[in-house]
Amino acid sequence: MDNQQPILDGIDPEITERLVSRRDAIRQGAGMGSRLAAGLAMASVPVAIAALAKETFAQTPADILDVLKFAFILENLENEFYRAVLGTSALAAQNNAFAPVRALIPDAAKQTFQQIQKHEQQHVDFLKAVIPQFGGTPVTITAADFDFTGGNGAGTGPFARATTELDFLLLATQAFEDTGVRAYKGQAGRLLINGNNNADIALESALRIHSVEARHAAKIRRIRRQRNPGDTTLRFSGYVRGGGLAAAGAGNVANPPAEVVAALNLIYGGATPESNTQHVVFNGTSAVTIDAATLTGLDVIDAGERTAAATQAFDEPLTKDEVIAIVKNFIKDDAARGLP
Amino acid sequence: MSQRDPDRGEPMVVASAGELMFPATRRNFLRTLMAGGSVMLLPSVFTACSDDDDDNPLGPGNIPAPVTGVSFDLRSDVGIFRLLHLNEQLEAAFYTAVVSSGTFSSFSADERELFIDLRNTEVIHREFVRTALGSQALPDVRGSINLNVLNNILSSRVNIITASRLFEHVGVAALNGAGKYLQDARNLLVAGKFASVEARHAAALRDILPPAGVNANTAFAGDDIIDATGRDVKLEAGAVLDRVAATGIVMPGTLATPPITAAPTAAQGVPTADFFPANP
Repeated sequence: MDNQQPILDGIDPEITERLVSRRDAIRQGAGMGSRLAAGLAMASVPVAIAALAKETFAQTPADILDVLKFAFILENLENEFYRAVLGTSALAAQNNAFAPVRALIPDAAKQTFQQIQKHEQQHVDFLKAVIPQFGGTPVTITAADFDFTGGNGAGTGPFARATTELDFLLLATQAFEDTGVRAYKGQAGRLLINGNNNADIALESALRIHSVEARHAAKIRRIRRQRNPGDTTLRFSGYVRGGGLAAAGAGNVANPPAEVVAALNLIYGGATPESNTQHVVFNGTSAVTIDAATLTGLDVIDAGERTAAATQAFDEPLTKDEVIAIVKNFIKDDAARGLP
Repeated sequence: MSQRDPDRGEPMVVASAGELMFPATRRNFLRTLMAGGSVMLLPSVFTACSDDDDDNPLGPGNIPAPVTGVSFDLRSDVGIFRLLHLNEQLEAAFYTAVVSSGTFSSFSADERELFIDLRNTEVIHREFVRTALGSQALPDVRGSINLNVLNNILSSRVNIITASRLFEHVGVAALNGAGKYLQDARNLLVAGKFASVEARHAAALRDILPPAGVNANTAFAGDDIIDATGRDVKLEAGAVLDRVAATGIVMPGTLATPPITAAPTAAQGVPTADFFPANP
């Protein structure tokens, strides 16, 4: 396995790894401060570290805050969506829009929606309380700021059928949840700031919210599969199988609008699509890519199933820009809400 | 399956030597012999006996000798990935045994699809982490699995799903607790890719069989596993190993005492409060 040599070999010396991580952190940062540059130029490790400590920390609040504020917008989007679906939005027009589909939701699924909405409200409240602790101010955002048809305020966007068709609503719900999972995964690295306990707290909370969103997505997939037993793209395990439109399991939605197909391709696609099987691990000196579909030791898995299994075994991230491209048409006047 | 009503004097039927690993089967077997009753050993028993590996629920293939004294130095990403490797090995071995167990045929088609997906995913995770760790990977720990405990779990659908729920929730909690100690963003991303998949498992398992008293429509993310701020289960590494040891799935001595020789440094991060129910 020449292309899969062990990559975490020899990481042992803790200090080496931390140095490399910090060097990477700097490389990704805005630029190198003068004291750091001086430290590195002198090839003096202790001096470089001392300089880095101050300068990295000086940058961190902005990164943490940006992630938290971004998450706050996404959680509000999800929360207001579920409130509209359940008829508990503060805005009558949102409740009225979803009245037709609400009448079609079985009681069991309604309880599921209520539980998910409760979590989204908890996430909103949590982030609203945490953002000020990092020196920020949460944006003001209300039910009136959203257009759940994806029409950017027109109310007649490509997802309008979610207000009248149960299967379409469930597809949209799954898509929102999976977008949330992928968004948190993509942002986690920005909260990884070694030696910063505040960043650790933000990171751990983000990871714990991230796995709740994955539970939501899995449950919705299971509901969809139960309604649609023949669509084996929708796994009873709740996994995402494959990438792009194929991963959405949209087979039971007749004639989806082209804009919805395009949206699903974005939601399950991207620079690192859900169909990806290659993952990078870093050992402190080099990064190596491992292909999960061609590992040795997979004998118990049917050979023809290994690639599909490998896509299921790893969920993939979206970048912030990719997430914004997906959600912006659901948020009216999104620039005023803090999205570029 | 061994089938016998001891009160009716029917012969006891033993289909495989492996069944004699089940405490209940073994008890019946001995009681029947002592009482002068008849025991019917189906041909499959002798077939199985011709090859020791075949009646091992972890087989087929060579199961290595037990390992002892496994320990973890958590001061690097390697140490944290080694802990992940232990969990993934146990999960992969467990689901492989589930899928090849006699009980599995009594699962519904939907449940069989779910468990085959779980097995495939955990086998891929195990091999991925092993490849990533290279020479620093843990040894193969399958030989350290307590077969009495394993066979007891495999004896019923409820036991299997209950144990699966625990393993998956420990897996989610371990990743949620360990992320903050990782030092490289690429390794954190890989851990995140695992974590949400484990959370999907955990939700699906709670959906097919919620813990007693939990609403089936909300169990996938019930109030017992999601706290009041909407955050999922989380365990520090020491608590993860305690939970694993408490299942009895690995034989005593497999893990060193204590199993963690060096905790993460303060620079990696500081421990936070755990959140994990008694019966996830």
